[in-house]
Amino acid sequence: MHRTLIFTMLLGLSGYASSHQFTPTYPEWESSYSPGIVQTTMLLFNSREEISYYEIKVFDEEWNSLPFAGAGIANVMYVPYLDRKFIPIYLREKDVGLARYICSRSKILAGGVQASQVSSRICSKLK
Amino acid sequence: MFNKTLLALSAAMIVIPASAENVPISGNVESKCVITTETNGVYGNPTPSKLSTLPADGGVVPIIRFDVVSANYYKAVIATPNDFSASPSLNDVVAWTGTTSVGEVSDALMSAYDTDKVVYNNYSEFDLTIAGSTWFKAESTAVYGYDKSFPSGNYNAVVEAECIAL
Repeated sequence: MHRTLIFTMLLGLSGYASSHQFTPTYPEWESSYSPGIVQTTMLLFNSREEISYYEIKVFDEEWNSLPFAGAGIANVMYVPYLDRKFIPIYLREKDVGLARYICSRSKILAGGVQASQVSSRICSKLK
Repeated sequence: MFNKTLLALSAAMIVIPASAENVPISGNVESKCVITTETNGVYGNPTPSKLSTLPADGGVVPIIRFDVVSANYYKAVIATPNDFSASPSLNDVVAWTGTTSVGEVSDALMSAYDTDKVVYNNYSEFDLTIAGSTWFKAESTAVYGYDKSFPSGNYNAVVEAECIAL
């Protein structure tokens, strides 16, 4: 009886919880179809029901933003609930030595109803 | 006789591919960090000049879970709010305070995260040195002016939870 109750409670909790995943932890650049441009592919999984948009950014060691392409308009991607999206990141070859982090951040829509919301950001490191 | 043989052969041709079929399941384990919002916070309003997520003040503390598959690959950085993301027009200063602490842990050794954390401004940093799940509580309080009443309306603030590869 107790086991059933605990399992049911866990099942309820897991249904409520919502998460954000961004992999790989240590991406690597590879050559792209275009000369002077390198690329890597990130995988984003969204199981946050209240979030549908994620901002992708590339940073240097000092957390200055670097220009890149591949992550949609204004670097904001639409990732529906429970969807998994492969995101290509294209960077200039001359910026490879500078780039240190690729990050995804959940974007919260204005006018949300919760008083205190959580914005999640996961950063992978380029070695 | 010929018909029977033909039927038997046809049946065998249909059956053989099905019986020989293998269904592979593959997977790999890689280091990763998963940020899970367990509980969104709610501000209580115990006095006209105060908004607080503390249960004693009628609020709900936001709880964020960090899952790491491998130890020593990530650090968690949690920032409590220092501004409202949405509020009525405010014409006086808001004094913010916030604390991030370890709530529940999947490994008893993780309780050391609280003593080893680095705190600066409204940020708290935790090195995730043990594989497993850690639940962090991010408490937030806002006090308006000097005993001034918050104007009526909706107030929203954002807790930032970051997982950064080391």
